[in-house]
Amino acid sequence: MAKPIVKKKYTLTERVYLIEIIKGLGLTFKHFVFNVKASFRPGPHTVPTCWQYPEDRREIAPIFRGAHMLMLDDQGRIKCVGCGMCARACPAQCITVKRGKVAEGEESKYVGKTYPEEFIVDLTRCIFCGFCEEACPKGGIVLGPEYELAQYTREECILNKEGLIANYYKAKEEGKLKPPRKPVPVAAPAKKPAAKKAAPKKAEAKGTEAKGDAKEAKAKEAEAKKAEKEQKSEG
Amino acid sequence: MNWVIAIIKVVFIWTWCLLWATVMTWAERRGSAMIQDRLGPNRAGPFGLFQPIADGIKLFTKEEFRPKTARKILFNLGPILFAIPAFSAYAVIPFGDKIVIGGKEIILQVADVNIGFLYVLAIGSLAVYGIVVGGWGSNNKYSILGGLRSTAQLISYEVPWGLALLAAVFVYGTFDLRQIALSQTGTFLGFLPNWGVFKQPLGFLIFTVAAYAEANRVPFDLPEAESEIVAGYHTEYGGMRLGLYLFGEYVNLYTLSALCVTLYFGAWNLPYIDMSKFLGPISYGIASFVVFWLKVMVFLLSFIWVRWTVPRFRYDQVMKLGWKALIPLALFNLLITALVIQLTV
Amino acid sequence: MEVRRPTIEDWDNPGDLVTINIGPSHPAMHGTLRVIAQTDGETIVSAEPEIGYLHRGVEKLGEHLTYHQFIPITDRLNYCSAIANNVSYEMAVEKLMGIKVPEKAQVIRMIMMELARIADHIVCIGILGVDLGAFTPFFYLFIQREEIYEIFEWYNGARLTNTFGRIGGVEADLPEDFEERWRKLLPNLKKAIDETDKLLTHNRIWMDRTIGVTAFSPEDALSWGFTGPCLRACGVKRDLRKDEPYCFYDQVDFEIPVGKHGDVFDRYIVRMIEMEESIKIIDQAIKIYKEFPPDAPLMAKVPKIIKPPVGEVYSAIEAPNGELGFWIKSDGSDKPYRIKIRPPCYMVYQAFPELVQGEMIADLIACLSSLNIIAGELDR
Repeated sequence: MAKPIVKKKYTLTERVYLIEIIKGLGLTFKHFVFNVKASFRPGPHTVPTCWQYPEDRREIAPIFRGAHMLMLDDQGRIKCVGCGMCARACPAQCITVKRGKVAEGEESKYVGKTYPEEFIVDLTRCIFCGFCEEACPKGGIVLGPEYELAQYTREECILNKEGLIANYYKAKEEGKLKPPRKPVPVAAPAKKPAAKKAAPKKAEAKGTEAKGDAKEAKAKEAEAKKAEKEQKSEG
Repeated sequence: MNWVIAIIKVVFIWTWCLLWATVMTWAERRGSAMIQDRLGPNRAGPFGLFQPIADGIKLFTKEEFRPKTARKILFNLGPILFAIPAFSAYAVIPFGDKIVIGGKEIILQVADVNIGFLYVLAIGSLAVYGIVVGGWGSNNKYSILGGLRSTAQLISYEVPWGLALLAAVFVYGTFDLRQIALSQTGTFLGFLPNWGVFKQPLGFLIFTVAAYAEANRVPFDLPEAESEIVAGYHTEYGGMRLGLYLFGEYVNLYTLSALCVTLYFGAWNLPYIDMSKFLGPISYGIASFVVFWLKVMVFLLSFIWVRWTVPRFRYDQVMKLGWKALIPLALFNLLITALVIQLTV
Repeated sequence: MEVRRPTIEDWDNPGDLVTINIGPSHPAMHGTLRVIAQTDGETIVSAEPEIGYLHRGVEKLGEHLTYHQFIPITDRLNYCSAIANNVSYEMAVEKLMGIKVPEKAQVIRMIMMELARIADHIVCIGILGVDLGAFTPFFYLFIQREEIYEIFEWYNGARLTNTFGRIGGVEADLPEDFEERWRKLLPNLKKAIDETDKLLTHNRIWMDRTIGVTAFSPEDALSWGFTGPCLRACGVKRDLRKDEPYCFYDQVDFEIPVGKHGDVFDRYIVRMIEMEESIKIIDQAIKIYKEFPPDAPLMAKVPKIIKPPVGEVYSAIEAPNGELGFWIKSDGSDKPYRIKIRPPCYMVYQAFPELVQGEMIADLIACLSSLNIIAGELDR
């Protein structure tokens, strides 16, 4: 099959190159004048769209996922109990946790009865997904605000327990500790009457009856499967 | 005594061109940044003004490498063949009116020859050799492509360039650039300054487009189109050889802008004021020099301005524009100029 | 059309043809692509693409990670719009398990996917400009992309590789100031798109470079398996958001832009109009979102360890680049037996030799940029 041949049709202003070029020149000139005026302002942040690192840093969100830190509670005790859920949840397998029993005299340092004897996070493997933070039952490991992680040797990139706790103290000093995550509201498991009540309620609320066929079919399928499962578990 | 003055003028103009070529590198980076909503170099000195010095030091101290399979003589000859015509083309362009020092009247022009801009045209054609030799000597397919594209482009655009200049010759009656500059005083049609651009608007347009093509600047920068052929003819160059190519390009730009100002914008003449009437001889010389330089600066800045606004042409579109659009336009311009002169003289 | 492919003999006896290697490291290759072109002067006689320089074994990784752990890996496929990949994968697993996602979560997914679509199109148009020599629209558009990243950061914590959504819903509600940020971003985004339009669309140099370049007929496009903006530019009106609606797309009002000739200019225009349509969708979606109570469910009830029933599923969404599909085969355990990803770029890139034959080198570069080939997705 031959390629389609396209006939080019131009309006008059497009035919004469210059008119559109001059319009474009006007636009860039406006930007130029604005930025030249801005560059004479004092302070590192002169042109509004340009951040001059390292004097001028962008404000990062409190929930930013940077380097890890081991959390302490307000009495200074380590919250982590060394269960290893974070190590199991990590897709990159970068966390190594070794659990030990808290000795007799050390109960003031740890919240739980067991403590992490060894806690190593390999930042060269970490993908900063935040699954360890989600998996932790005690809120012991949290991804902090630290993103300047460049080091000169590979060994410095591996965080051990002291490094993790140092990250915590650093974030606390800078006031960048984030509040613990609120759990997300979970839908109640779809029982038949509830589903029927929910569907017309939502339809009323939005005032649209015609939901896509695919959605209805999917809901029916889900209900049917759940009904089957319940029957199986009962039977 | 005259040859001492001539040498001083040569050295002065050579240094001056080089100085403004380096300042142009700063202006390009800073100007492009201001257009693109960012800051350009601003760490080396206030507003980055020492950046060209840093760049110069970098280019001088880099390793002078050469690919093993490149032909040694051609590889080394390319930048030289490109840079020398760029500097020498400036010899006939006046950079001010006369100045009187120690009782001697000195014209601010290195060589006042009566073939004037034919010399510039001839020397400009030599610049093509630098590109082709450099591209071929690099033994790299991208460089050869860049060299070939550049040859075709530069040669094609010399024809409309020459034709536009020919129409200017009709108007001024001479090739000599100093005479042309001197004849642009006074007013034209009673209210316009007697500059070339008002007598030859179409010629000015054709000259500008051809100047962009001769200088390898966007929209005609396909010989060194970075995204297509990875820097074209200077792909394999580094260190001061690359420096010669880049500085030669800026000096070329300066020469073309100066030529444009001399022919079409009245060289050193201010619009309605005649400076020689109320300034002493020395200050008049300096003032004319400054006015000329300011006008050239405006043109140089416009080269930067257009570069960052407009996309680039494709090879066959450049050829089409040069041969099918500009040459007929230039011939038409010639015809109209000849008719008008015949009917009014 | 008879497409000529270069052979081994061409390397040894090229004859009159010049073999150029537009290699993996090149300023205009997006990611690491290689094209071996045989040219006669400047006209291309044959072009052979070579892929695989960014192959990371993503599908193999899927075989020893659990379903939940695979979500961050899908981020890194089409890294310009990571959210679309996440949602596509999650929808595939939900289809396999028969989970119904709560509606507030679906609206949030839709809003985020449209933001990712705008981000991806910004990349494509900006880079198309840079490859053709127009450097400034790239900067104007990317400044707005930074603001979109800010919105992602305040939602999730990550700017580029947001591990968005979980199997069964989303992991967090939209932040309280989301609408304020969107209202602040919207005029600037519209202004940037407008400026790009003013600088490029009616500029004759741009039109000469892009109109008629690598035009493609709709029959050819359909037979090669094109989807997404490249197909719509050829004149075929196919968009999974309208043909097989998912999330809340059937309840928002938007148009599908369709081109005429399938050339570079049409692909560019289709992407520009799609950005504006995405803005419309987000505005309407925010209105729908506000009707939900603040404590409406965001996750369906999903077991902690996800063990889908034995079976296989294919599910696809309209990612910014085309139809991004996941085929998952499960054998009942908590790790998938096989995940196969259908990348939209792969089908488009297969047609590259045919698209580019007879054009010039400059057109090859323009065509490659306009197809939006993202190496992460192509090579997985």
